[in-house]
Amino acid sequence: MPILAIDTATLVSSVALATVDNVLAEITLQTKKTHSELLMPHIAKLLDMAQVAKADLKGVAVSIGPGSFTGLRIGLSTAKTLAYALQIPVVGVPTLAAMAYGCPVPGVILAPMLDAQKGNVYQALFEWHQGELKEIQPAIVTEVTAALESLSQQERPVVVMGESAVMYRDKIEQIGKNLILAAPHVVIQRASSVAGLGYKLIKQGVRHDVMGLEPLYIRRSEAEVLWECRHGVGK
Amino acid sequence: MENTQQETRKPCLTLALETSCDETSAAVVADGRIVLSNIISSQIPVHQKYGGVVPEIASRKHIENVLPVIDQALKEAGIALTDISAIGVTYGPGLVGALLVGVSVAKALSFAAGIPLVGVNHLEGHIFANFLAHPKLEPPFMALVVSGGHTSLVHVKGYNEFTLLGQTRDDAAGEAFDKVARVMKLPYPGGPYIDALAAKGNPEAIAFPRALSGKNSFEFSFSGLKSAVLNYLNSAAQKQEEINTADVAASFQAAVIDVLVSKSLQAAAVCGVGQIVLAGGVAANSGLKAKVGYECQQAGISFYYPDPILCTDNAAMIACRAYYQHQIGDYADLHLNAKPSLKLGAREIVT
Ligand SMILES: [Zn+2]
Repeated sequence: MPILAIDTATLVSSVALATVDNVLAEITLQTKKTHSELLMPHIAKLLDMAQVAKADLKGVAVSIGPGSFTGLRIGLSTAKTLAYALQIPVVGVPTLAAMAYGCPVPGVILAPMLDAQKGNVYQALFEWHQGELKEIQPAIVTEVTAALESLSQQERPVVVMGESAVMYRDKIEQIGKNLILAAPHVVIQRASSVAGLGYKLIKQGVRHDVMGLEPLYIRRSEAEVLWECRHGVGK
Repeated sequence: MENTQQETRKPCLTLALETSCDETSAAVVADGRIVLSNIISSQIPVHQKYGGVVPEIASRKHIENVLPVIDQALKEAGIALTDISAIGVTYGPGLVGALLVGVSVAKALSFAAGIPLVGVNHLEGHIFANFLAHPKLEPPFMALVVSGGHTSLVHVKGYNEFTLLGQTRDDAAGEAFDKVARVMKLPYPGGPYIDALAAKGNPEAIAFPRALSGKNSFEFSFSGLKSAVLNYLNSAAQKQEEINTADVAASFQAAVIDVLVSKSLQAAAVCGVGQIVLAGGVAANSGLKAKVGYECQQAGISFYYPDPILCTDNAAMIACRAYYQHQIGDYADLHLNAKPSLKLGAREIVT
Protein backbone atom coordinates (compact mmCIF):
# COMPACT_ATOMS: atom_id res chain seq x y z
CA MET A 1 0.00 0.00 0.00
CA PRO A 2 2.22 2.79 -1.24
CA ILE A 3 2.34 6.48 -0.59
CA LEU A 4 3.23 9.10 -3.17
CA ALA A 5 6.12 11.43 -2.36
CA ILE A 6 6.91 14.75 -4.04
CA ASP A 7 9.92 17.08 -3.94
CA THR A 8 9.92 20.27 -6.01
CA ALA A 9 11.81 22.52 -3.61
CA THR A 10 14.61 23.26 -6.11
CA LEU A 11 15.25 22.68 -9.81
CA VAL A 12 15.17 18.94 -9.10
CA SER A 13 11.79 17.41 -9.85
CA SER A 14 11.36 14.15 -7.97
CA VAL A 15 8.37 11.88 -7.38
CA ALA A 16 8.36 8.44 -5.78
CA LEU A 17 6.07 5.62 -4.80
CA ALA A 18 7.13 3.79 -1.68
CA THR A 19 5.77 1.38 0.88
CA VAL A 20 6.98 1.42 4.45
CA ASP A 21 10.01 -0.75 3.60
CA ASN A 22 10.37 -0.54 -0.15
CA VAL A 23 10.76 2.03 -2.93
CA LEU A 24 8.57 0.93 -5.84
CA ALA A 25 9.43 3.67 -8.29
CA GLU A 26 11.07 7.05 -8.51
CA ILE A 27 11.41 9.67 -11.23
CA THR A 28 14.09 12.26 -10.53
CA LEU A 29 14.86 14.84 -13.16
CA GLN A 30 17.09 17.88 -13.40
CA THR A 31 16.13 19.76 -16.53
CA LYS A 32 15.27 23.29 -17.48
CA LYS A 33 11.57 22.42 -17.75
CA THR A 34 9.28 23.91 -15.12
CA HIS A 35 7.75 21.94 -12.28
CA SER A 36 4.38 23.07 -13.53
CA GLU A 37 4.89 21.21 -16.81
CA LEU A 38 6.58 18.14 -15.33
CA LEU A 39 5.04 17.31 -11.99
CA MET A 40 1.54 16.03 -12.81
CA PRO A 41 2.61 14.14 -15.96
CA HIS A 42 5.38 12.50 -13.89
CA ILE A 43 2.94 11.45 -11.18
CA ALA A 44 0.60 9.94 -13.78
CA LYS A 45 3.52 8.18 -15.50
CA LEU A 46 4.93 6.91 -12.21
CA LEU A 47 1.64 5.31 -11.16
CA ASP A 48 1.24 3.84 -14.60
CA MET A 49 4.76 2.37 -14.71
CA ALA A 50 4.50 0.95 -11.20
CA GLN A 51 1.00 -0.33 -11.99
CA VAL A 52 -0.46 1.34 -8.95
CA ALA A 53 -4.01 2.69 -9.21
CA LYS A 54 -4.48 6.17 -7.80
CA ALA A 55 -7.28 4.75 -5.63
CA ASP A 56 -4.70 2.50 -3.96
CA LEU A 57 -2.57 5.39 -2.73
CA LYS A 58 -2.55 5.49 1.06
CA GLY A 59 -1.15 8.98 1.53
CA VAL A 60 0.94 11.80 0.12
CA ALA A 61 4.25 13.00 1.54
CA VAL A 62 5.48 16.36 0.29
CA SER A 63 8.69 18.27 0.76
CA ILE A 64 7.53 21.53 2.37
CA GLY A 65 10.69 23.61 2.35
CA PRO A 66 12.69 25.66 2.68
CA GLY A 67 13.42 26.11 -1.00
CA SER A 68 12.17 27.99 -4.04
CA PHE A 69 8.86 29.63 -3.08
CA THR A 70 7.22 28.85 -6.42
CA GLY A 71 8.58 25.29 -6.54
CA LEU A 72 7.28 24.60 -3.05
CA ARG A 73 3.85 25.97 -3.90
CA ILE A 74 3.55 23.78 -7.01
CA GLY A 75 4.49 20.69 -4.97
CA LEU A 76 2.17 21.57 -2.11
CA SER A 77 -0.77 22.57 -4.32
CA THR A 78 -0.50 19.25 -6.07
CA ALA A 79 0.00 17.14 -2.93
CA LYS A 80 -2.77 18.82 -0.96
CA THR A 81 -5.25 18.58 -3.82
CA LEU A 82 -4.51 14.89 -4.46
CA ALA A 83 -4.96 14.18 -0.76
CA TYR A 84 -8.21 16.19 -0.72
CA ALA A 85 -9.71 14.57 -3.82
CA LEU A 86 -8.56 11.01 -3.03
CA GLN A 87 -9.47 11.49 0.64
CA ILE A 88 -6.11 10.31 1.95
CA PRO A 89 -3.77 11.90 4.52
CA VAL A 90 -1.02 14.36 3.60
CA VAL A 91 2.18 14.84 5.54
CA GLY A 92 4.56 17.76 5.09
CA VAL A 93 8.21 16.71 5.29
CA PRO A 94 10.93 19.31 5.98
CA THR A 95 13.12 19.39 2.85
CA LEU A 96 16.52 19.60 4.55
CA ALA A 97 15.67 16.78 6.98
CA ALA A 98 14.56 14.56 4.09
CA MET A 99 17.95 15.08 2.43
CA ALA A 100 19.81 14.07 5.61
CA TYR A 101 17.44 11.11 5.95
CA GLY A 102 18.69 9.85 2.60
CA CYS A 103 22.30 9.73 3.85
CA PRO A 104 22.30 7.50 6.97
CA VAL A 105 25.97 7.79 7.93
CA PRO A 106 26.91 7.88 11.63
CA GLY A 107 29.84 9.91 12.97
CA VAL A 108 29.49 12.83 10.57
CA ILE A 109 27.56 16.08 10.49
CA LEU A 110 25.13 16.32 7.56
CA ALA A 111 24.80 19.85 6.22
CA PRO A 112 22.18 20.24 3.47
CA MET A 113 22.20 23.71 1.89
CA LEU A 114 19.68 25.17 -0.53
CA ASP A 115 19.92 28.45 -2.39
CA ALA A 116 18.40 31.44 -0.59
CA GLN A 117 19.83 33.92 -3.15
CA LYS A 118 22.36 36.76 -2.93
CA GLY A 119 25.05 34.49 -1.43
CA ASN A 120 22.72 33.08 1.21
CA VAL A 121 21.63 29.52 1.87
CA TYR A 122 18.93 27.74 3.84
CA GLN A 123 20.87 25.45 6.11
CA ALA A 124 20.17 22.93 8.85
CA LEU A 125 22.49 20.43 10.55
CA PHE A 126 21.81 16.79 11.32
CA GLU A 127 23.54 13.68 12.66
CA TRP A 128 22.67 10.01 12.87
CA HIS A 129 22.74 8.68 16.39
CA GLN A 130 21.94 5.04 17.19
CA GLY A 131 20.01 4.64 13.97
CA GLU A 132 17.95 7.83 14.43
CA LEU A 133 18.22 11.11 12.58
CA LYS A 134 18.78 14.02 14.97
CA GLU A 135 18.54 17.70 14.17
CA ILE A 136 21.54 19.62 15.57
CA GLN A 137 20.51 22.99 14.15
CA PRO A 138 17.10 23.93 12.71
CA ALA A 139 16.77 25.57 9.30
CA ILE A 140 18.12 29.11 9.10
CA VAL A 141 19.12 31.56 6.38
CA THR A 142 22.84 32.19 6.52
CA GLU A 143 25.64 33.64 4.38
CA VAL A 144 27.29 30.74 2.58
CA THR A 145 31.00 31.54 3.12
CA ALA A 146 30.54 32.14 6.83
CA ALA A 147 28.51 28.94 7.10
CA LEU A 148 31.20 26.86 5.37
CA GLU A 149 33.99 28.47 7.47
CA SER A 150 32.10 27.67 10.63
CA LEU A 151 31.52 24.08 9.54
CA SER A 152 35.23 23.69 8.85
CA GLN A 153 35.89 24.40 12.55
CA GLN A 154 33.96 21.26 13.54
CA GLU A 155 35.93 18.30 14.80
CA ARG A 156 33.84 15.78 12.88
CA PRO A 157 33.66 15.36 9.10
CA VAL A 158 30.89 17.44 7.56
CA VAL A 159 29.01 16.17 4.48
CA VAL A 160 27.71 19.19 2.55
CA MET A 161 24.64 18.45 0.43
CA GLY A 162 22.09 20.24 -1.74
CA GLU A 163 22.12 22.55 -4.76
CA SER A 164 24.26 25.10 -2.91
CA ALA A 165 26.91 22.46 -2.19
CA VAL A 166 27.14 21.97 -5.95
CA MET A 167 26.97 25.72 -6.60
CA TYR A 168 29.79 26.45 -4.12
CA ARG A 169 31.84 23.34 -4.91
CA ASP A 170 34.99 25.45 -5.44
CA LYS A 171 34.64 27.10 -2.06
CA ILE A 172 34.19 23.73 -0.33
CA GLU A 173 37.27 22.32 -2.06
CA GLN A 174 39.25 25.48 -1.32
CA ILE A 175 38.47 25.30 2.39
CA GLY A 176 39.04 21.54 2.33
CA LYS A 177 39.79 20.25 5.84
CA ASN A 178 36.83 18.22 7.13
CA LEU A 179 34.35 19.36 4.47
CA ILE A 180 33.12 16.65 2.11
CA LEU A 181 30.95 17.32 -0.93
CA ALA A 182 28.26 14.61 -1.09
CA ALA A 183 28.27 12.25 -4.11
CA PRO A 184 25.95 13.23 -7.01
CA HIS A 185 23.24 10.69 -6.15
CA VAL A 186 23.05 11.95 -2.55
CA VAL A 187 23.71 15.63 -3.14
CA ILE A 188 20.25 16.34 -4.64
CA GLN A 189 16.79 15.79 -3.18
CA ARG A 190 15.14 12.45 -3.78
CA ALA A 191 11.42 11.91 -3.31
CA SER A 192 12.18 8.41 -1.98
CA SER A 193 13.83 10.07 1.02
CA VAL A 194 10.77 12.28 1.45
CA ALA A 195 8.67 9.09 1.47
CA GLY A 196 10.96 7.45 4.04
CA LEU A 197 10.89 10.37 6.43
CA GLY A 198 7.18 10.81 5.70
CA TYR A 199 6.48 7.28 6.90
CA LYS A 200 8.58 7.95 9.98
CA LEU A 201 6.57 11.10 10.78
CA ILE A 202 3.27 9.30 10.26
CA LYS A 203 4.46 6.53 12.62
CA GLN A 204 5.25 9.22 15.18
CA GLY A 205 1.65 10.38 14.91
CA VAL A 206 2.30 13.51 12.84
CA ARG A 207 -0.85 14.50 10.87
CA HIS A 208 -1.19 17.62 8.78
CA ASP A 209 -4.40 19.40 7.94
CA VAL A 210 -4.93 19.13 4.18
CA MET A 211 -6.67 22.53 4.12
CA GLY A 212 -4.13 24.44 6.14
CA LEU A 213 -0.76 22.90 5.23
CA GLU A 214 1.58 25.62 3.96
CA PRO A 215 5.17 25.72 2.72
CA LEU A 216 7.95 26.24 5.24
CA TYR A 217 9.19 29.50 3.75
CA ILE A 218 11.57 30.51 6.61
CA ARG A 219 11.70 33.90 4.89
CA ARG A 220 8.97 36.46 4.61
CA SER A 221 8.34 38.15 1.27
CA GLU A 222 10.68 41.02 0.40
CA ALA A 223 7.77 43.47 0.32
CA GLU A 224 6.86 42.69 3.93
CA VAL A 225 10.44 43.13 5.12
CA LEU A 226 10.83 46.43 3.24
CA TRP A 227 7.52 47.74 4.53
CA GLU A 228 8.47 46.97 8.13
CA CYS A 229 11.89 48.62 7.70
CA ARG A 230 10.23 51.72 6.30
CA HIS A 231 7.64 51.88 9.04
CA GLY A 232 10.05 51.10 11.86
CA VAL A 233 8.29 47.92 12.97
CA GLY A 234 10.46 45.51 14.95
CA LYS A 235 13.86 47.02 15.56
CA MET B 1 -32.23 17.80 -27.36
CA GLU B 2 -35.77 16.48 -27.03
CA ASN B 3 -38.12 18.07 -24.56
CA THR B 4 -38.85 14.83 -22.73
CA GLN B 5 -35.15 14.20 -22.35
CA GLN B 6 -34.52 17.69 -21.10
CA GLU B 7 -36.76 17.19 -18.10
CA THR B 8 -34.83 14.17 -16.83
CA ARG B 9 -31.46 15.32 -18.06
CA LYS B 10 -28.86 16.06 -15.38
CA PRO B 11 -27.38 19.54 -15.67
CA CYS B 12 -23.82 19.86 -16.98
CA LEU B 13 -21.81 21.16 -14.01
CA THR B 14 -18.53 22.99 -14.35
CA LEU B 15 -16.25 23.72 -11.41
CA ALA B 16 -13.71 26.49 -11.91
CA LEU B 17 -10.77 28.10 -10.15
CA GLU B 18 -9.52 31.66 -10.48
CA THR B 19 -6.20 32.73 -8.88
CA SER B 20 -4.72 35.11 -11.45
CA CYS B 21 -4.33 38.13 -9.18
CA ASP B 22 -5.54 38.92 -5.68
CA GLU B 23 -8.78 36.95 -5.37
CA THR B 24 -8.90 33.22 -4.66
CA SER B 25 -12.16 31.99 -6.11
CA ALA B 26 -13.96 28.72 -6.85
CA ALA B 27 -17.41 28.34 -8.36
CA VAL B 28 -19.88 25.78 -9.65
CA VAL B 29 -22.03 26.69 -12.64
CA ALA B 30 -24.85 24.62 -14.16
CA ASP B 31 -25.27 24.44 -17.96
CA GLY B 32 -22.90 27.36 -18.34
CA ARG B 33 -25.45 29.91 -17.17
CA ILE B 34 -26.71 29.22 -13.65
CA VAL B 35 -24.38 30.08 -10.76
CA LEU B 36 -24.77 27.45 -8.02
CA SER B 37 -21.91 28.88 -5.96
CA ASN B 38 -19.27 31.56 -6.41
CA ILE B 39 -16.91 31.76 -3.44
CA ILE B 40 -14.44 34.65 -3.51
CA SER B 41 -11.75 35.11 -0.91
CA SER B 42 -10.50 38.63 -1.49
CA GLN B 43 -7.01 39.71 -0.53
CA ILE B 44 -7.64 43.42 -0.98
CA PRO B 45 -7.15 44.19 2.76
CA VAL B 46 -3.84 42.30 2.75
CA HIS B 47 -2.39 44.33 -0.14
CA GLN B 48 -3.90 47.67 0.86
CA LYS B 49 -0.95 48.82 2.99
CA TYR B 50 1.45 48.24 0.06
CA GLY B 51 -0.70 50.38 -2.27
CA GLY B 52 -0.98 47.55 -4.80
CA VAL B 53 -0.86 43.79 -5.23
CA VAL B 54 2.39 42.19 -4.02
CA PRO B 55 2.84 39.07 -6.17
CA GLU B 56 4.64 36.92 -3.56
CA ILE B 57 2.08 37.73 -0.88
CA ALA B 58 -0.76 37.00 -3.34
CA SER B 59 0.72 33.56 -4.11
CA ARG B 60 1.07 32.78 -0.41
CA LYS B 61 -2.54 33.70 0.23
CA HIS B 62 -3.73 31.60 -2.70
CA ILE B 63 -2.17 28.40 -1.40
CA GLU B 64 -3.64 29.12 2.03
CA ASN B 65 -7.15 29.73 0.70
CA VAL B 66 -7.54 27.57 -2.37
CA LEU B 67 -8.75 24.26 -0.91
CA PRO B 68 -11.12 25.81 1.64
CA VAL B 69 -12.62 27.91 -1.18
CA ILE B 70 -13.12 24.85 -3.42
CA ASP B 71 -14.61 22.87 -0.56
CA GLN B 72 -17.02 25.67 0.23
CA ALA B 73 -17.99 26.07 -3.44
CA LEU B 74 -18.92 22.37 -3.68
CA LYS B 75 -20.79 22.43 -0.36
CA GLU B 76 -22.73 25.57 -1.19
CA ALA B 77 -23.70 24.09 -4.57
CA GLY B 78 -24.71 20.94 -2.74
CA ILE B 79 -22.82 18.63 -5.06
CA ALA B 80 -19.95 16.16 -4.91
CA LEU B 81 -16.75 16.42 -6.93
CA THR B 82 -17.86 13.32 -8.85
CA ASP B 83 -20.90 15.22 -10.23
CA ILE B 84 -18.65 17.67 -12.09
CA SER B 85 -18.36 17.37 -15.88
CA ALA B 86 -15.39 19.66 -16.44
CA ILE B 87 -12.87 21.62 -14.35
CA GLY B 88 -11.95 25.06 -15.62
CA VAL B 89 -8.96 27.07 -14.49
CA THR B 90 -7.55 30.46 -15.38
CA TYR B 91 -4.07 29.86 -16.86
CA GLY B 92 -3.42 33.43 -18.03
CA PRO B 93 -3.00 36.31 -18.24
CA GLY B 94 -2.05 37.24 -14.69
CA LEU B 95 0.68 36.97 -12.07
CA VAL B 96 2.70 33.84 -12.80
CA GLY B 97 3.14 32.68 -9.19
CA ALA B 98 -0.53 33.24 -8.47
CA LEU B 99 -1.68 31.45 -11.66
CA LEU B 100 0.55 28.47 -10.85
CA VAL B 101 -1.32 27.73 -7.63
CA GLY B 102 -4.67 27.47 -9.45
CA VAL B 103 -3.21 25.55 -12.40
CA SER B 104 -1.46 23.03 -10.12
CA VAL B 105 -4.58 22.50 -8.03
CA ALA B 106 -6.83 22.14 -11.09
CA LYS B 107 -4.54 19.59 -12.73
CA ALA B 108 -4.34 17.49 -9.55
CA LEU B 109 -8.10 17.70 -9.13
CA SER B 110 -8.68 16.70 -12.76
CA PHE B 111 -6.30 13.76 -12.44
CA ALA B 112 -7.52 12.52 -9.06
CA ALA B 113 -11.22 12.75 -9.95
CA GLY B 114 -10.84 11.77 -13.62
CA ILE B 115 -12.59 14.92 -14.85
CA PRO B 116 -11.56 16.74 -18.05
CA LEU B 117 -9.53 19.92 -17.59
CA VAL B 118 -10.21 23.19 -19.41
CA GLY B 119 -7.62 25.99 -19.53
CA VAL B 120 -9.45 29.33 -19.52
CA ASN B 121 -8.25 32.74 -20.67
CA HIS B 122 -9.02 35.23 -17.90
CA LEU B 123 -10.15 37.97 -20.32
CA GLU B 124 -12.54 35.64 -22.08
CA GLY B 125 -13.84 34.79 -18.61
CA HIS B 126 -14.56 38.47 -17.92
CA ILE B 127 -16.56 38.74 -21.14
CA PHE B 128 -18.49 35.56 -20.30
CA ALA B 129 -19.58 37.02 -16.94
CA ASN B 130 -22.26 38.69 -19.06
CA PHE B 131 -23.79 35.32 -19.98
CA LEU B 132 -24.30 34.67 -16.27
CA ALA B 133 -25.84 38.08 -15.68
CA HIS B 134 -28.04 37.94 -18.79
CA PRO B 135 -29.43 34.45 -19.50
CA LYS B 136 -30.81 35.49 -22.90
CA LEU B 137 -27.64 37.17 -24.17
CA GLU B 138 -26.06 35.51 -27.19
CA PRO B 139 -23.23 36.42 -29.54
CA PRO B 140 -22.46 38.28 -31.71
CA PHE B 141 -21.61 41.42 -29.76
CA MET B 142 -18.85 43.94 -29.08
CA ALA B 143 -17.13 43.53 -25.72
CA LEU B 144 -15.22 46.28 -23.95
CA VAL B 145 -12.93 44.68 -21.36
CA VAL B 146 -11.65 47.23 -18.84
CA SER B 147 -9.74 46.29 -15.72
CA GLY B 148 -6.61 47.05 -13.74
CA GLY B 149 -4.57 45.09 -16.24
CA HIS B 150 -6.49 45.34 -19.50
CA THR B 151 -8.32 47.61 -21.90
CA SER B 152 -9.45 45.70 -24.96
CA LEU B 153 -12.15 45.81 -27.58
CA VAL B 154 -13.19 42.34 -28.63
CA HIS B 155 -15.58 41.33 -31.38
CA VAL B 156 -17.29 38.24 -29.97
CA LYS B 157 -18.60 36.44 -33.07
CA GLY B 158 -19.56 33.21 -31.36
CA TYR B 159 -19.06 31.36 -28.09
CA ASN B 160 -15.63 30.25 -29.26
CA GLU B 161 -14.76 32.85 -31.84
CA PHE B 162 -13.18 36.18 -30.91
CA THR B 163 -11.36 38.93 -32.72
CA LEU B 164 -9.29 41.41 -30.77
CA LEU B 165 -9.88 44.78 -32.43
CA GLY B 166 -7.53 46.78 -30.28
CA GLN B 167 -6.06 47.18 -26.83
CA THR B 168 -4.05 49.64 -24.80
CA ARG B 169 -0.55 50.52 -25.91
CA ASP B 170 0.54 51.40 -22.39
CA ASP B 171 -1.46 51.65 -19.14
CA ALA B 172 -4.77 49.86 -18.69
CA ALA B 173 -7.75 52.09 -17.84
CA GLY B 174 -7.95 50.62 -14.33
CA GLU B 175 -4.24 51.18 -13.84
CA ALA B 176 -4.69 54.88 -14.69
CA PHE B 177 -7.51 55.06 -12.13
CA ASP B 178 -5.32 53.47 -9.45
CA LYS B 179 -2.33 55.69 -10.18
CA VAL B 180 -4.34 58.91 -10.20
CA ALA B 181 -6.09 57.82 -7.00
CA ARG B 182 -2.76 57.17 -5.33
CA VAL B 183 -1.51 60.68 -6.15
CA MET B 184 -4.80 62.09 -4.84
CA LYS B 185 -4.15 60.16 -1.61
CA LEU B 186 -7.27 58.02 -2.05
CA PRO B 187 -7.27 54.45 -0.67
CA TYR B 188 -6.34 51.39 -2.79
CA PRO B 189 -7.92 50.22 -5.05
CA GLY B 190 -8.75 53.73 -6.18
CA GLY B 191 -11.38 53.18 -8.89
CA PRO B 192 -14.49 53.25 -6.70
CA TYR B 193 -13.22 56.34 -4.79
CA ILE B 194 -12.59 58.29 -8.00
CA ASP B 195 -16.00 57.21 -9.27
CA ALA B 196 -17.69 58.48 -6.09
CA LEU B 197 -15.69 61.73 -6.06
CA ALA B 198 -16.35 62.29 -9.78
CA ALA B 199 -20.08 62.18 -9.19
CA LYS B 200 -19.71 65.40 -7.15
CA GLY B 201 -17.46 67.26 -9.62
CA ASN B 202 -17.67 69.03 -12.96
CA PRO B 203 -16.41 66.80 -15.77
CA GLU B 204 -15.73 69.84 -17.96
CA ALA B 205 -13.70 71.76 -15.38
CA ILE B 206 -10.30 70.69 -16.72
CA ALA B 207 -9.58 69.73 -20.32
CA PHE B 208 -7.54 66.55 -20.03
CA PRO B 209 -6.31 64.90 -23.28
CA ARG B 210 -8.17 62.12 -25.16
CA ALA B 211 -5.46 60.05 -26.84
CA LEU B 212 -5.72 58.17 -30.16
CA SER B 213 -9.22 59.42 -30.77
CA GLY B 214 -8.86 59.09 -34.56
CA LYS B 215 -11.68 57.50 -36.50
CA ASN B 216 -11.73 53.69 -36.51
CA SER B 217 -8.61 53.42 -34.40
CA PHE B 218 -9.32 50.83 -31.73
CA GLU B 219 -6.13 51.15 -29.76
CA PHE B 220 -6.02 52.94 -26.42
CA SER B 221 -3.40 54.94 -24.53
CA PHE B 222 -3.83 56.22 -21.01
CA SER B 223 -0.29 57.07 -19.91
CA GLY B 224 -0.48 60.57 -21.41
CA LEU B 225 -3.74 61.25 -19.58
CA LYS B 226 -2.27 59.97 -16.34
CA SER B 227 0.76 62.27 -16.75
CA ALA B 228 -1.50 65.22 -17.55
CA VAL B 229 -3.43 64.70 -14.31
CA LEU B 230 -0.21 64.35 -12.30
CA ASN B 231 1.23 67.51 -13.91
CA TYR B 232 -1.95 69.42 -13.17
CA LEU B 233 -1.87 68.37 -9.51
CA ASN B 234 1.86 69.08 -9.17
CA SER B 235 1.76 72.51 -10.72
CA ALA B 236 -1.26 73.48 -8.64
CA ALA B 237 0.60 72.33 -5.53
CA GLN B 238 3.67 74.35 -6.54
CA LYS B 239 1.62 77.48 -7.03
CA GLN B 240 -0.12 76.68 -3.76
CA GLU B 241 -3.47 76.82 -5.51
CA GLU B 242 -6.55 75.29 -3.99
CA ILE B 243 -7.45 72.08 -5.85
CA ASN B 244 -11.05 71.01 -6.35
CA THR B 245 -10.45 67.24 -6.13
CA ALA B 246 -13.99 66.43 -7.23
CA ASP B 247 -13.46 68.42 -10.44
CA VAL B 248 -10.12 66.69 -11.05
CA ALA B 249 -11.69 63.26 -10.53
CA ALA B 250 -14.70 64.12 -12.71
CA SER B 251 -12.58 65.57 -15.53
CA PHE B 252 -10.14 62.65 -15.44
CA GLN B 253 -12.92 60.07 -15.40
CA ALA B 254 -14.73 61.87 -18.24
CA ALA B 255 -11.57 61.74 -20.37
CA VAL B 256 -11.25 57.97 -19.81
CA ILE B 257 -14.93 57.31 -20.41
CA ASP B 258 -15.16 59.47 -23.56
CA VAL B 259 -12.46 57.43 -25.25
CA LEU B 260 -13.88 54.07 -24.11
CA VAL B 261 -17.41 54.92 -25.18
CA SER B 262 -16.66 56.45 -28.56
CA LYS B 263 -14.37 53.60 -29.59
CA SER B 264 -16.86 50.96 -28.44
CA LEU B 265 -19.66 52.50 -30.47
CA GLN B 266 -17.44 52.96 -33.52
CA ALA B 267 -16.33 49.32 -33.24
CA ALA B 268 -19.92 48.11 -33.00
CA ALA B 269 -20.80 50.13 -36.09
CA VAL B 270 -17.81 48.91 -38.09
CA CYS B 271 -18.50 45.25 -37.22
CA GLY B 272 -22.22 45.66 -37.67
CA VAL B 273 -23.25 44.35 -34.26
CA GLY B 274 -26.23 45.64 -32.31
CA GLN B 275 -25.06 44.70 -28.82
CA ILE B 276 -22.31 46.05 -26.58
CA VAL B 277 -21.21 44.38 -23.34
CA LEU B 278 -18.95 45.74 -20.62
CA ALA B 279 -16.58 43.44 -18.75
CA GLY B 280 -13.81 43.62 -16.16
CA GLY B 281 -13.33 45.41 -12.85
CA VAL B 282 -13.83 48.90 -14.31
CA ALA B 283 -17.24 47.80 -15.66
CA ALA B 284 -18.47 48.47 -12.12
CA ASN B 285 -17.75 52.20 -12.64
CA SER B 286 -21.11 54.00 -12.48
CA GLY B 287 -19.99 56.90 -14.68
CA LEU B 288 -18.92 54.48 -17.42
CA LYS B 289 -22.14 52.47 -17.25
CA ALA B 290 -24.25 55.63 -17.41
CA LYS B 291 -22.40 57.05 -20.42
CA VAL B 292 -22.31 53.81 -22.42
CA GLY B 293 -25.97 53.25 -21.57
CA TYR B 294 -26.94 56.69 -22.80
CA GLU B 295 -24.90 56.52 -26.01
CA CYS B 296 -26.16 53.02 -26.80
CA GLN B 297 -29.73 54.14 -26.36
CA GLN B 298 -29.12 57.04 -28.76
CA ALA B 299 -27.63 54.65 -31.31
CA GLY B 300 -30.29 51.95 -30.86
CA ILE B 301 -27.81 49.44 -29.51
CA SER B 302 -28.55 46.99 -26.66
CA PHE B 303 -26.21 47.37 -23.76
CA TYR B 304 -25.25 44.78 -21.11
CA TYR B 305 -23.01 44.75 -18.07
CA PRO B 306 -22.61 42.26 -15.22
CA ASP B 307 -23.47 42.79 -11.55
CA PRO B 308 -20.53 44.22 -9.55
CA ILE B 309 -19.73 40.80 -8.02
CA LEU B 310 -19.32 39.35 -11.53
CA CYS B 311 -17.22 42.34 -12.68
CA THR B 312 -14.40 41.66 -10.24
CA ASP B 313 -12.28 38.55 -10.59
CA ASN B 314 -14.42 35.52 -9.82
CA ALA B 315 -14.51 31.83 -10.72
CA ALA B 316 -18.14 31.75 -11.90
CA MET B 317 -17.18 33.59 -15.10
CA ILE B 318 -14.35 31.06 -15.60
CA ALA B 319 -16.80 28.18 -15.08
CA CYS B 320 -19.11 29.75 -17.68
CA ARG B 321 -16.27 30.05 -20.20
CA ALA B 322 -15.14 26.49 -19.39
CA TYR B 323 -18.64 25.19 -20.12
CA TYR B 324 -18.55 26.49 -23.70
CA GLN B 325 -15.03 25.12 -24.24
CA HIS B 326 -16.20 21.77 -22.83
CA GLN B 327 -19.03 21.80 -25.42
CA ILE B 328 -16.49 21.78 -28.27
CA GLY B 329 -14.01 19.45 -26.53
CA ASP B 330 -11.40 22.16 -26.05
CA TYR B 331 -9.47 20.48 -23.23
CA ALA B 332 -6.04 20.90 -21.71
CA ASP B 333 -3.92 18.04 -20.44
CA LEU B 334 -1.64 17.61 -17.41
CA HIS B 335 1.13 19.63 -19.10
CA LEU B 336 -0.95 22.82 -18.83
CA ASN B 337 1.27 25.67 -17.65
CA ALA B 338 0.60 29.21 -16.49
CA LYS B 339 0.84 31.79 -19.30
CA PRO B 340 1.25 35.19 -17.61
CA SER B 341 0.90 37.15 -20.85
CA LEU B 342 -1.65 34.97 -22.63
CA LYS B 343 -3.37 36.77 -25.50
CA LEU B 344 -7.09 36.75 -26.02
CA GLY B 345 -8.39 34.00 -28.27
CA ALA B 346 -4.97 32.32 -28.34
CA ARG B 347 -5.73 29.12 -26.47
CA GLU B 348 -2.97 26.61 -26.52
CA ILE B 349 -4.28 23.10 -26.61
CA VAL B 350 -1.90 20.27 -25.90
CA THR B 351 -3.30 16.88 -26.79
ZN1 LIG C 1 -9.62 40.34 -14.05
